[in-house]
Amino acid sequence: MSKRYATFAVVTATLISLTTLLAGCGESGTATPAQQAREDLENKSELSASYDPLHFKPAIASASNEQCLACHREVIEDRVRPVSPAGVKAEDTRAWYQLTSTYEGEQDTFHRRHLETPMAKALMNLQCNTCHEGHDPREEAPGSSATATSQDDRGFTLRKQVNPETTCLKCHGQFPGWELMRLPGTWDEAKPFFKNDCMACHVSTRTHRHQVNYLNADAIEAAAMKAMESGNSADVCMGCHGGRAWYRIPYPYARNPWPEMPEGMPEWAKDRPTHSDPRFIKTEPKS
Amino acid sequence: MTNKLDMKKVKVALERKVAQSYEPVKPAMQFGFVHHNVDCIGCRACEIACKDKNGLPPGPRFRRVMYIEGGTYPEVFAYKVNMSCNHCAEPACLPTCPTGAIWKRAKDGIVDIDSTLCIGCRRCEAACPYGAPQWNPKEQIIQKCNLCVDEIDAGRKPYCVMACMMRVLDIGPIDKLWEGKHKTTAVGPHDETVRQVKNMANPELTKPSIAFVPHSKGKVK
Repeated sequence: MSKRYATFAVVTATLISLTTLLAGCGESGTATPAQQAREDLENKSELSASYDPLHFKPAIASASNEQCLACHREVIEDRVRPVSPAGVKAEDTRAWYQLTSTYEGEQDTFHRRHLETPMAKALMNLQCNTCHEGHDPREEAPGSSATATSQDDRGFTLRKQVNPETTCLKCHGQFPGWELMRLPGTWDEAKPFFKNDCMACHVSTRTHRHQVNYLNADAIEAAAMKAMESGNSADVCMGCHGGRAWYRIPYPYARNPWPEMPEGMPEWAKDRPTHSDPRFIKTEPKS
Repeated sequence: MTNKLDMKKVKVALERKVAQSYEPVKPAMQFGFVHHNVDCIGCRACEIACKDKNGLPPGPRFRRVMYIEGGTYPEVFAYKVNMSCNHCAEPACLPTCPTGAIWKRAKDGIVDIDSTLCIGCRRCEAACPYGAPQWNPKEQIIQKCNLCVDEIDAGRKPYCVMACMMRVLDIGPIDKLWEGKHKTTAVGPHDETVRQVKNMANPELTKPSIAFVPHSKGKVK
């Protein structure tokens, strides 16, 4: 009897070893992060997937888009309805801010517009974790569970997984006070004096712009220069900074030091940060 | 003698004007909600009344009662924050909509939506700092609280307010609610209202029309 058990044990152990070996070969093969994430998900319940470390700090900070989209596929796969329930055709409709000369393509979803369209890919480098910083799904507010983030974390707010003040506003805030730019009035009032051309001044001032890792600074500058030559730089700049300024406050852009930066802090800038958020600082690619 | 207009130039000028200008509606009077964070018992009757009235499937919740708990023994705390659409003075959802499905009423500032015009781009959902627009995955459209505009026009109050058994949720002219001059059961005789509670997005973003009686731990310093 014990001999039969011994034989069974040897055969089982051999089979397990072979399976492990084959699985190991697969892992070291060509599985992409997305495939790996999908395989991981298949082995998890919804609850355990919700509490995957990837949803929490610090792992979320290094999560790739592929890893996020392996589960949250609808973010990219969902498209707008071709026709609304009352019969409004998506192709026939444009918002006021979509009438700029730079607006291209069909109506699309919010996420696809920010991640997938050719213009988004050319000018931006947005990642899921640029906006989504992760938190315990049980939390209604920061700091209210055992696995909570610190109380002063502004990564999310009541009813929102993303805090627009620290994300959307980076690009879609109102221009800072027109007085600072020494304009005779708000941009809406003053733009005829400047031929509606932002670059009339900004070709020579504040030229070290967009130097953060979620934007393609060189591509944005090139687009602005090209637009200036064709006389519609306002459309390029306003497309992000003013045209979509549904929030009524400006973003306190960091005054990162620039070459020939004057000494001392002007009064109007005393509350502004002096460095960008470390997670957005551009790093040179490793050679 | 009048100069003949070059209609092509007019059209271009008009498009440029439309493309780069947006001014929110300034209503004659602004309705808003008021909620007592401490006396609310979190029964969620308001949530259910809202879902019932609007025929909502599982998922979208126009109104949400949030349980805020925290602290370290012995100094622990719990209170509720109750929010739906805040019918902002300068709503972010409205200008994002490519089909014009969202608008603000001039007479009372209610931000209403005709979801039958929605193409499901979800821009308004992303833009709202307070999570008001709700995605209906079955219909692939956005829906949201319209302050029961039909009830308002009939001289009554929204379903959520009428369902509140503690009478800690109410509506009124928001300026008067902030000043404490509107008579309501949601604000006690010695209570003071505030515009923002802890963990709520910055009201300066869109100027939400909401007042709270805050918990001592929920006050924004």
